Parts: sequence; C-alpha cells; structure tokens
Amino acid sequence: MKLTDAALIAAHEAGDTATLVALYARAADQVTGPERAFLLTQAHVFAMEIDHPEAPRLRAALIEMGCELPL
Amino acid sequence: MTQSDLSLVRQNISAAKGLPNPHYTSEAVFAEERDALLASEWAGLAAAVDVPAPGDARPIDFVGIPLLLIRDKDGQVRVFHNICRHRGMILVSEPRRIEGVIRCPYHSWCYSTQGRLVSTPHVGGPGQNTAQGIERSELGLIEVRSHVWMGVVWINLSGDAAAFEDHHADLLARWAEFDQPLYHGGADSRFTLDVGCNWKLAVENYCESYHLPWVHPSLNTYSRLEDHYHIEARGRYSGQGTHVYRQLTGDDGQQFPDFAGLADKWDTAAEYIAAYPNVLLGVHRDHIFALLLIPKGPGRTEEQVHLFYPTEDTDPDLRARNAEQWKQVFEEDIFVVEGMQRGRHTPAFDGGRFSPAMDGPTHLFHDWVATRVQTHRNAPQAAE
Repeated sequence: MKLTDAALIAAHEAGDTATLVALYARAADQVTGPERAFLLTQAHVFAMEIDHPEAPRLRAALIEMGCELPL
Repeated sequence: MTQSDLSLVRQNISAAKGLPNPHYTSEAVFAEERDALLASEWAGLAAAVDVPAPGDARPIDFVGIPLLLIRDKDGQVRVFHNICRHRGMILVSEPRRIEGVIRCPYHSWCYSTQGRLVSTPHVGGPGQNTAQGIERSELGLIEVRSHVWMGVVWINLSGDAAAFEDHHADLLARWAEFDQPLYHGGADSRFTLDVGCNWKLAVENYCESYHLPWVHPSLNTYSRLEDHYHIEARGRYSGQGTHVYRQLTGDDGQQFPDFAGLADKWDTAAEYIAAYPNVLLGVHRDHIFALLLIPKGPGRTEEQVHLFYPTEDTDPDLRARNAEQWKQVFEEDIFVVEGMQRGRHTPAFDGGRFSPAMDGPTHLFHDWVATRVQTHRNAPQAAE
C-alpha cells in the first residue's frame, strides 16, 4: 500500500481513526526499516488516541526497533 | 497606566469610598485584577458536572487564558493549560470525550488524561519517536491547582495560594453540615445569564440585603429586611443570611427532601455567601446553588448558575420551578448591576459612600479588592 492510496486519504478526511490504525498497520507490515517505523508510529499514535486494543502491540514493535519508550 | 488611589477604599466603612471607576471600566485595570484577584486566589472555573464521565474534556477560556477542564480516566477532575508543550498549539477546541490520549492536532504529541506526555512521534526524525533533550517526564501538560467543593471546580492559577482547605477553613467549618453528596439537578437546573457589568458589581450586589425590599419586592411578603444578618470574614468571603427561609412547595404539597442531619436552625435559615473572588453560593435545607461569575471584559460577565439537591431523584416539576424562581431573582438584579456599570462611566462618580449599617459585606469585598491589588502593585517594588 502506498500512502497516496485513496482509502487512506478518505480515512484522514473522514477522521475515521480506527480505519487509519488498520491501514497504517497493514502498510507497516509490508515494509522494513525506517519506512516501517514511520508507518508503525502513525498507526500507534492513532491507536492511542482511541484506546485501540492494538496500541500496546504497536508500541511494543516500535520499542523493539529502538524507536519508542515504554509507557 | 495611572494607578488608582485605593487608600480611601481601605478606610473604616463610615469614611470609606468605593472602588474608583477604572476598576469597572478600564481594560488595564481588568488585566491587573486578573492577576491580583482571580489568578492569585481560588477562583471558580466551572461546575464539576461539566465533565461528568471519565475522559470528558471541555476547553474553557478563563479571562483570556486557555484552560482544559477534564475528568481523567480515574475519575479525578483536573485542569490543565490547554496547550501542547511543543509549539503551544491549542489541544482541545471543542467539548468532547477523550477515548485514549489527548493528541495535539499539529504534530500529534500525545498526553494521557492525567497530563503525562506519552508519545512524541517523529521527534527524532521519521519513525524515531525519541530525541536527546526531549525528556517526556519534564514535558507533561501544565496542570493548574484545582479543588472541587460545592460542585464547583476551583482553581488557583498562580499556584501559590494556601491549600483550599486551609484558605477556606472557616467557611468549610461554617457549612460543614452541607459537606455531603450533592446531586446536580440536571439540564433544567442550570442556566446562564449574560450581564453587561463588571464581575465585581455582581459580587457587591449579592453580598448585601440592603437592596432586597426594593429590587426583590416579592420577598417582602415573608422575608423582611430585619430578618437578615451580615456574614463577614475579612479577606475571604462575605454575604448575608436570613432567619426565614421558606421551602418551595408544589401544587400537591410536594417539597424537596432535606439534607441529612442538619441542625434545627436550618429549618428556617438560609445563607448566601460570596467566596472571593467570583463564586456566589447559597445554602438551604433542601437545595444549594452556585453562581460562577466568569469575567468576559471590564463591562461584561457571564453568570453560570447550578442548582444541587440532597438526592438524585427529585421532582422534575419542582426542580423546574425552583430554577425558574432563582432565575427570576437573578434577572431582577441585572438592571441594578448594569445600571451601576453605566454609572461608572461618569467621572463625577467618586466611588460612592457605604451605609455603615447595611453595606458591611460589600465594603469588606472592596477592602479585599483594594488590599489584594495594592499588594500586587507593591510586589515588583519589593523584589527590586
């Protein structure tokens, strides 16, 4: 998935945070390295915002990459 | 700014004059009093019921300062400056429920409802969410001291006032019998009045019973002027009490339940106190009200009124009648406070003189204002 995907833009415009979590997380799973960290961060922030059940797993993945701190 | 002469205000009541006109009309004095009177004391900000559930957040502009009233995930009411520690962006623009964290809409720094900074996305570059020098433990939301009493969220913006329980120890002791669960009457027990006067005029009018027979003539039928007494606590609060409170009774004889365990005197007594600076409280055997004076400018004040009851389930019709009755009383006061506001635009007014017998509580408020403002003016000089 590319960040220009229509679904992602539509979710941003609609403020559909749960969908943003899903789209960014799915995109992160398809890449590696800094790009994965970027996408995981996006997913994690939106997940935290809505207390999404995926938030802890996303944070743990970022911590494992050395990109985030434990709560 | 030419500073007003407050020495005459602090004279004995028989010789004192009221506050000079600029204290009601000047933008500069309004700003001065914001710091000297509203920020340095325990001021009323809102009702706790404004954020009824965990996560509820409400932005409030308090004398030009953007604040965020929130009930955190543990149910505690908190007040923060409504700004991100990154670029000072306003965090919450509309009342809403925070489901997880407070995410800044600019660069998405995230804060818990307790104010802890929990994420700083991309702060170290794309995908890197930490950076040297960005210590999250030092960058939480800036909390304002707050305390809930009588259903009111009180704040001390300066952060250096005595603890609320200490500052208002005698008031808490005076009304200790009412320190029991209060139930807000709901949507029909709150109303707001937009009044064209300086906030202090509303305090001054509320404090004294002198005006009752003229402005609230319906009270004359059962509550005469001589049934009232002054309440005076220098430097903290003043007001009036009555010995002849009469309960509201519905068409079918229904009344509100009483607060539990009150002394016999409350069978017919009621008390009305202005807790300086801006909270007007009234206690009765069967209900309590809080009126918050939210200053909107030198000549404009928002009056937010809330009524509370001893139990959760009270008669809705009776509640509506009670709210309407109080609304009528407070509306009856509007023409006098607005009239006094207009009167303060003539340089011929010299602050006025007080009735030594009847204006004690109002003079006490003026004395407090003058003392606090003078202390504030002296502070920078003392530091030099």
